[in-house]
Amino acid sequence: MESYFTFVSSVLGFEPTSLLGFVGAIAVWAVPITAFVSVVGLVSIWLERKISAHIQCRVGPMEVGPHGALQTLADGIKLLGKEDLVPAQADRILFGLAPMLVFASTFVGFAVIPFSQKAVIADLNLGIFFLAAVGSLEAIGVVMAGWSSNNKWSLFGAIRAATQVVSYEIPLGLSLLAVVVVAGSMSLNDITQAQSGWVWNWFLFRNPFMWAVFLIYFIASLAECKRAPFDLPEAESELVSGFHTEYSGMRFAIFFLAEYGAMYIVSAIAVVLFFGGWYTGIPFLDHISGSIGGTTGVVVENLIGAGTIIVKSFLLICVQMWIRWTLPRIRLDQMMDLCLKYLLPFSLVLLVAVSLWQAFQGPIDGGNSVMGMIMLAATVASLIWMRRLAGRVSKASALRRELPVVKTGL
Amino acid sequence: MSAAGRGREGEWALSFHAIIFWALAAMTIVPAIGIVVSKNIVHMAFWLLGTLLGVAGLYLHMEADFLGMTQVFVYIGGINVLLLFGIMLTNREPLYVRAAVKRPAIASAVLLGVVVAVGLIQSFGATEWHTVKDAVAPGLADASAKAVVNGDGTAATLGTYLLSDYILPFEIVSILLLVVLVGAAYIARRDPEGGSA
Amino acid sequence: MATSDAIIDQVKGQFGEAVLESSTPLGFPTVCVAKDRARDILTYLRDEPGLEFDVLTDATAADGLKYPEPWDTRFQVVYHLRSSRDGKRLRVKVGVPERDCTLASVHDLWKSANWAEREIFDMFGVRFEGHPNLKRILCHHKFKGHALRKDYFIHDGQWLDEPETLLDEIGDWGENPADEGFSELVPVNLGPAHPAMHGTLRVFAKMEGETIVKAVPEIGYLHRGFEKHSETGNWTMVIPYTDRLNYCSAMLNNIGYVRTVEKMFGIEPTERCQYIRVIVGELSRIIDHCVCLGAMLVDLGALTNFWYLFNIRERIYHLLEGLCGARLTSSYARIGGMAHDLQDGFETELREILRDMPRNVSDVLGLIAKNRIFLDRTVGIGVISREDALSWGWTGPCLRATGIPYDLRKVEPYDVYADLDWDVATRDGGDVHDRAMVRFDEMIQSMRIIEQALDRMPEGPVMVEDKRVVLPEKDKVYSSIEGLMNHFVLIYDGIKVPAGEAYVPTEAANGELGFYIISDGSGRPYRIHCRAPSFYLYCAYPSLAEGNMVADAVPLLGSLNIIAGELDR
Repeated sequence: MESYFTFVSSVLGFEPTSLLGFVGAIAVWAVPITAFVSVVGLVSIWLERKISAHIQCRVGPMEVGPHGALQTLADGIKLLGKEDLVPAQADRILFGLAPMLVFASTFVGFAVIPFSQKAVIADLNLGIFFLAAVGSLEAIGVVMAGWSSNNKWSLFGAIRAATQVVSYEIPLGLSLLAVVVVAGSMSLNDITQAQSGWVWNWFLFRNPFMWAVFLIYFIASLAECKRAPFDLPEAESELVSGFHTEYSGMRFAIFFLAEYGAMYIVSAIAVVLFFGGWYTGIPFLDHISGSIGGTTGVVVENLIGAGTIIVKSFLLICVQMWIRWTLPRIRLDQMMDLCLKYLLPFSLVLLVAVSLWQAFQGPIDGGNSVMGMIMLAATVASLIWMRRLAGRVSKASALRRELPVVKTGL
Repeated sequence: MSAAGRGREGEWALSFHAIIFWALAAMTIVPAIGIVVSKNIVHMAFWLLGTLLGVAGLYLHMEADFLGMTQVFVYIGGINVLLLFGIMLTNREPLYVRAAVKRPAIASAVLLGVVVAVGLIQSFGATEWHTVKDAVAPGLADASAKAVVNGDGTAATLGTYLLSDYILPFEIVSILLLVVLVGAAYIARRDPEGGSA
Repeated sequence: MATSDAIIDQVKGQFGEAVLESSTPLGFPTVCVAKDRARDILTYLRDEPGLEFDVLTDATAADGLKYPEPWDTRFQVVYHLRSSRDGKRLRVKVGVPERDCTLASVHDLWKSANWAEREIFDMFGVRFEGHPNLKRILCHHKFKGHALRKDYFIHDGQWLDEPETLLDEIGDWGENPADEGFSELVPVNLGPAHPAMHGTLRVFAKMEGETIVKAVPEIGYLHRGFEKHSETGNWTMVIPYTDRLNYCSAMLNNIGYVRTVEKMFGIEPTERCQYIRVIVGELSRIIDHCVCLGAMLVDLGALTNFWYLFNIRERIYHLLEGLCGARLTSSYARIGGMAHDLQDGFETELREILRDMPRNVSDVLGLIAKNRIFLDRTVGIGVISREDALSWGWTGPCLRATGIPYDLRKVEPYDVYADLDWDVATRDGGDVHDRAMVRFDEMIQSMRIIEQALDRMPEGPVMVEDKRVVLPEKDKVYSSIEGLMNHFVLIYDGIKVPAGEAYVPTEAANGELGFYIISDGSGRPYRIHCRAPSFYLYCAYPSLAEGNMVADAVPLLGSLNIIAGELDR
């Protein structure tokens, strides 16, 4: 890791030998991150509302702004104006600290998420490891929230959350490791650059196991974000609202923002690890500075990169929402079963398989592109096949089936 | 080249580097005192969070990036959460330390603390520390220090060492952990004969 | 099937003097038995081969204080029995005097007697000896007096605000670590204001981790005194109260009540009226099942299904709104027929709904029928055996999910159900999944019924021509003295239902909805008791929930479709 001194000085262009310089450095980057997290929150909450509405034959918010786009902003302002309620028997200090801790763990993650080749706040050598580490801070914030609320439902939610987050960290980490093995680096920048070129150079198509690795990562990341079907910690029909039952106003808004921020982070990681990061998959566009030239070229290239990674991340967020509004919630023991009996062994096997593949196939020159093309074709074919399979299932749905005719024996 | 390596000895006390160090040290010590004086077990566990974060910060400050992050990942994300878990799941309603600690216990604790402190200071003094500044000197070839200087981080060097020079201890520790895991699973296992435990 | 007389004769032969009286009012065999032999006779009725009354459909009581012809004893406890083997029914009445207001409990013969006896104790003050937990059930635990006694006046307001702790029912906590059964149990209140408790139910639970070790329910938060209230107005004024029983399918309650009163008059509604009742009744059944399934799936975390189902419900409500001007509280049925005929365009709109409904239902099934998570969450959860289900007095879809094809529309057909071609939907598992699937199947069967009924429905009047119950047409009132007199008497005195008693069960959306009515021949109901299906479904809930995780207990409750309106009355 370039230590933060080096990093800060490279950012600021001078060496911060004073506290003032350090604070300045923090301000220079903290403000845009905060703004970005808020915008991500606003957009994804609006998306959630609209997607859920359209899935459910509704229209969703329509009044504030075009198609209700400013509804979330209005809600945020309303939440700001709410009374700050703390339950009488709550542990006041921890109660106040918990949302901050949860938000901080998300917020810090944004520091290493790259937006393009140049636009990354801290390009750490251990980028992935850093994300996994700060992500695990969230669990403790949630436990703090649940315990300090002095409400049994909150505590149930907190314990569920901690169980879930701690357990799913393992398959999540193992699937990250598989990518690290392929890329040979933990730096998000290096990983992305290893996927430059055409679409089939993306890690998703790098070898036959990467799809499975991605699926495990995606499932585990749903659990890490506490998204349906893993929304047990806040299961509203069982635990009222889980660990944030007692929170209202701005503290609740911070939890909410952190949740959507975390969704963006896991999606962005998935994009960087599997979907070519800021690369569009078309070499001409990715290296447009070569044809435009000068500062304009660099700016355009970086803008395309940033746009690409944000769009890809939001597409994955949409998939998360799609899943949320389709599937019921699973139960605590089933959640643990899924993690320990299926995801964990599979991710271990996949790690070994990916390592072996890398050891034997990796050195072959140009093999990656060929493999990628084959895998891309296979992916497209299997998606089409799955679509047809899904069609067949709905045709055989229970309605068309013969109803059991029961003779009334009475 | 990091800022840490640039400060001259005389400016040390006033430099930005020092401010960070003292801040981190305070972040480690204050919660540690909090753990000792706190009466509520859950508060102790949350104080521990501060200490662990401070230690992680110190590691990072000493350019040990991998170690620092592992500290966060394992100790905060894993062990501290499990600790809280254990307290919340096993303790009954009042989560306070019930019986007042007896005098002899305090005395022996202080004694033990002094012994440990003396031992630690002794060993710190006796150890020959390789600093980053030393690593730049041509005579010393400490690979990890070089990696730090080159901005490559310590992970790669650590990995190389663990899988070459220190492979035996590494494997022994792995097997030990495996044994612990199997043992824990065995103890926690529900007795199939006796129904749910 | 043994005839009514044969049953009565057999009981008389066995117990002789203990059978004080027997009759068959309105075709319902009834025996009055001596108080001290009541338990023996009931045991005999349950166990004797050939009788095997294995279901206690309902137990209630009546106060004879103000009855014109004095009763032998002040109170009568009335048991309605049914045999699941051949469907025969029997009413057993036991007189209980005011001085010695006790009776032997039968909670160990039929599980359904447990809550029924608590209700009788609550309302009439009859003490059941041997009952394990004889507490008030619908009224507040600090309530003074017994509300359904005729000398309790409805205006006697009582201010009651102290919540019940339920600590006496939940039992030992295993507090002492030295005890053998020591465990870390956590007390938790599910409800009365909890998102899983549809309506206002409260379950006090002892939890070990996420598992419910013991659950104690408290009901009555929505108790409005329907039965007491009914005694204050005339017979027609009860109809709007019935809307509020199961407010998800108000039509079926209306129909159930007016059928009972019609039975006492001996009135058969017109054919068109019967068809209309079938159609609106089945529509109500569909919307009731939509609510139940939607809410249950929300309990599982699947919100989208809720909207898909509510789209169906919304369209049907639009139709019913046009029919009777209200969505929930229809008050459409009248004694002797319906309030008015169907509106113009009813059939067109209904046929459009029927055309689209299969697709809407298959959308929902497409989301869940083969969904691994849904199956994992529902299959094998909350399983109840057939014997238990009968003993708890379960009826309706929940009973049919255990494989017993008990559907009053088939077993004791009324209206025109017998003429229509449809099947009773059953499943065998008796778990949450099957209870949900039976409801889906029933929605489809209801569509079949409605389609056929629409095709066959004849033209004609919707009200009988019986001046005892029906207001004369306006031109007769204005032009003839008979019409004017008739109108005047009906408005002033109300409908005068012949003296007597009747119990008429209807297949409502949740099961057997029965009204037990005693009339003294005046213009006001003497006693109206509603046998609410939810009441008997819910009394089994704690025993089903115990041993399950919270996450399972919640959809389990959803699958029973407890409607607080009819549970608490």
